Amino acid sequence: MLSMKNISKVYQTEKVQTHALRDFDLEVQEGEFIAVTGPSGSGKTTFLNIAGMLEPFTGGDYMLDDVNVGSLSDNQRADLRNQKIGFIFQGFNLIPDLNLYENIEVPLRYRGIKSAERKRRIEQCLEKVGLASRAKHLPQQLSGGQQQRVAIARALAGEPRFLLADEPTGNLDSLMARQVMELLEDINREGSTIIMVTHDQELARRAPRNIQVVDGQLADFTLYQNKTIEAVAAQADHSAVEV
Amino acid sequence: MLLHYIDLSWRSLKRTPLVSFLMILAIAVGIGITMTSLSVYHMMSMDPIPQKSSQLFAVQLNTTDDGTNWWTEDDVPMQLTYKDAMALHSAESPARKTASMRSGFTVHLNNQDLKPFLSEARLIGRDFFPMFDRDFVYGSTWTLEQEKSSSPVVVINEELNERLFGGLNSVGKQVYLDDTTFTVVGVMKQWNSHTKYYDLNNGAFDSPEPMFIPITLVAPMQIASWGNNNGWKHEAISTFEGQLQSEIFWLQFWVELDSPAQVKDYRNYLQAYLEEQGKLGRYSRAVPEFNLQNVNEWMEYNNVVSTDNKVLLGLSFLFLAVCLANILGLLLGKFLRRAPEIGVRRALGASKRQIFLQHLVEVSLLGFLGGVLGIAIAQLGLWGVRSTSNEYNALATMDISMLLAAPTIAISACIIAGLYPAWLVCRTQPAIYLKTQ
Repeated sequence: MLSMKNISKVYQTEKVQTHALRDFDLEVQEGEFIAVTGPSGSGKTTFLNIAGMLEPFTGGDYMLDDVNVGSLSDNQRADLRNQKIGFIFQGFNLIPDLNLYENIEVPLRYRGIKSAERKRRIEQCLEKVGLASRAKHLPQQLSGGQQQRVAIARALAGEPRFLLADEPTGNLDSLMARQVMELLEDINREGSTIIMVTHDQELARRAPRNIQVVDGQLADFTLYQNKTIEAVAAQADHSAVEV
Repeated sequence: MLLHYIDLSWRSLKRTPLVSFLMILAIAVGIGITMTSLSVYHMMSMDPIPQKSSQLFAVQLNTTDDGTNWWTEDDVPMQLTYKDAMALHSAESPARKTASMRSGFTVHLNNQDLKPFLSEARLIGRDFFPMFDRDFVYGSTWTLEQEKSSSPVVVINEELNERLFGGLNSVGKQVYLDDTTFTVVGVMKQWNSHTKYYDLNNGAFDSPEPMFIPITLVAPMQIASWGNNNGWKHEAISTFEGQLQSEIFWLQFWVELDSPAQVKDYRNYLQAYLEEQGKLGRYSRAVPEFNLQNVNEWMEYNNVVSTDNKVLLGLSFLFLAVCLANILGLLLGKFLRRAPEIGVRRALGASKRQIFLQHLVEVSLLGFLGGVLGIAIAQLGLWGVRSTSNEYNALATMDISMLLAAPTIAISACIIAGLYPAWLVCRTQPAIYLKTQ
């Protein structure tokens, strides 16, 4: 359902070409829960951004549910993103002026879902994340963990095929992080496909499938078994080259 | 979705009240100044009688010698001599026609109740009223017989009727104009024309006269003109009769022609008339010259809207442009500061078009609010214009079209100013901001 072949991403400045991703191959099947780990600057977030169509890729093929993402216009990518993908960010990224109900409503409005259906979905999602009674609260009136649960509810409301989570527990203490992780596991058990970028090895180990990104490539996992992330990073070549 | 965008826009305005207020104020001041000039320009240039402006024609005859210069664009005098005006007035065709002249009298009722006062009057033919669509409250115009026999009859307007007779039906009552007794035959509905288009030589924006009497009274009563008298050659004139027979231009002449065929026939008639007058030796001119211009052509020909007014209007729009430039800067700052939120919206599925529209709705809301406040400022400006001269009383006002134009112009102007900031913000790459939130 998600297939990347030879995906590359090059950031070009006047003097420097930075290969954020190179020859990146990945197949993701429906219902998987994948943890993506790797050293800082290895290309994890770039991968997630490309998977979520938040930024274009330089080369390769990316198929999402049999749609060739590379051939889509910006507006078509926005539509596809809205229909197929839900995002969970490290910084929650809730809109401060909108209450919880309205925050969750945002992607549904862009999809053109009718008011009654929006209401049903929002209430259902708030119920799922245990915040049904806080619908009219503003984000700043909640704790970090609660805000992340709202962000998860927002991602779920669109009933996406994929949940892309970028360090979803990065700003949370360990207790809240565990609660959020348990929520994600519940969601995965209900059938959602989740790709989660994390630095937290403990959380990563809870995911059924782990992949590592090193130097912009999907690492051969067998090479790095029993090594720490730091050791892998030290082993990797520097990805920026002079041009 | 539009209502949602309006809701978001309203929240955005409330989130930054000072910046929003400054932008609304800038638009309002720009619109206020622009609408003040535009309203005056609009009233000056608008068709004063749209239902028949293309059927009413001002007549000009050039009865000067070849080589005589005039201050019109084609050197044709704007007014007619008395003898020409009366000759055309007494001709059989067209069906409706009128000579016209500005004058005035001391008005009184020959009693102690009312002090005599000076009032303007217009001397016209009885066709004047149906030609210019004038309705009556009481009575009607004088009869053809009364006109031919130079009867002392008068039509007064509602305001004068109120002053003289307390607003009651005064038909048949008598009023003194100087020392002559006139009988009121009609009370005309108040005429609030913003342009005195039937006589642009004598104060284009003056109010219509309150009294109308037959033009045929000029000779027997030796009524002097209160308007412009334009001579072009030396004439030894020592009597009123001498003035009537002179080549001095001092009357206006209007005809109503309902079809192109009638226009053509009347042009032929004027051509023949001038040729005949030329043969009589009144002037030396190889080719007779005359003009027949409808109301709007006549206003254009007389530069009713002066170049100064046009320049002023241009300057006011320039001022609006300066206001918009300031708004553009404020909008840029405001919108770009919101880029992280836009990044989130884009990540959640908003297309560039949706983000663009959301911001255009916001600038439209700003424009609407600025336009409404601008109307208030324009009213203040128009009050200032009116207070400078009575001439502007009917001109310095906003009609319904201007009231609607104000927010329309404000919204359009704000959309123009907001296009670039909205375009810039809709191109936000969501990935850049999602990590930095």
